Amino acid sequence: MAKRLQAAERRASILAVAKVLFADKGYHGVSVDEIAARLAVSPAVLYRHFPSKLDLYESVLSAIACKRENYVDIVVRGPDDFAGLLKRMTLMYVQSVARDPDYLRMELHAALAGSQAAYQFFENRWRPFADYIEYGLGELRREGRVPAVDARVAALLFQGMVREALYAKIVHQADRYRNYSLEDLVQQLVILFLQAVRVT
Amino acid sequence: MATFDQELDARGLNCPLPILRARKSITGLGGGQVLRILATDPGSVKDFEAFCRQTGNELLSSSQNDGAFEFLIRKAS
Repeated sequence: MAKRLQAAERRASILAVAKVLFADKGYHGVSVDEIAARLAVSPAVLYRHFPSKLDLYESVLSAIACKRENYVDIVVRGPDDFAGLLKRMTLMYVQSVARDPDYLRMELHAALAGSQAAYQFFENRWRPFADYIEYGLGELRREGRVPAVDARVAALLFQGMVREALYAKIVHQADRYRNYSLEDLVQQLVILFLQAVRVT
Repeated sequence: MATFDQELDARGLNCPLPILRARKSITGLGGGQVLRILATDPGSVKDFEAFCRQTGNELLSSSQNDGAFEFLIRKAS
């Protein structure tokens, strides 16, 4: 028999189990019955906390999408040159994703489903990079250390590189990247990015 | 209004930019001088509390008016 839980604990346990199943199979590949069975409760228990499967799915997405990295420590404790801070931010982010790979799968599911959460994923997880790159390249441009470049497009370039590397290394666990540590990958990506936008 | 020696307008900026710019602004201040920061990122409240804890600067006040947050930070002597 399933242990009786307080409402908040029960809700958290439903979200945790649903996250794993949705990340693995997507929204349409998971039924309420399957989630309930995994939790060893009846579907009625789930409906007490979430009116519908869609509501549960959106709650899972929202909980993940609203997670933000705290970059205060790495801003305060290291040198503030553009490349150095970009590298430290990126490493912190990829290490966070490596601890919770379901996050990436859910981000992709949200984008494909056209969910509102796709916007939250960008605002909370990717926008710090977009804003920092735009700001940093503007500073470097004023110092004459980078030629004219569309900083917003450059931010997209960086975001695409990091996301693809995370898919290869963490989601697919591709053999060809097995010998790269996360630190190596981040180091290489930042170097390539700086070369691409021609930072001197 | 509280007195301050320098102002940083970080409205519209998101983490880590308000913290990064505050760090640069405070570097140019003398010990005991006060930096006023305006920000709109809801996360900035916790961020500046952490910033002051880690840098030894003093968070004199943290308030919210008209959708913007105001922070007064005194640089450590």
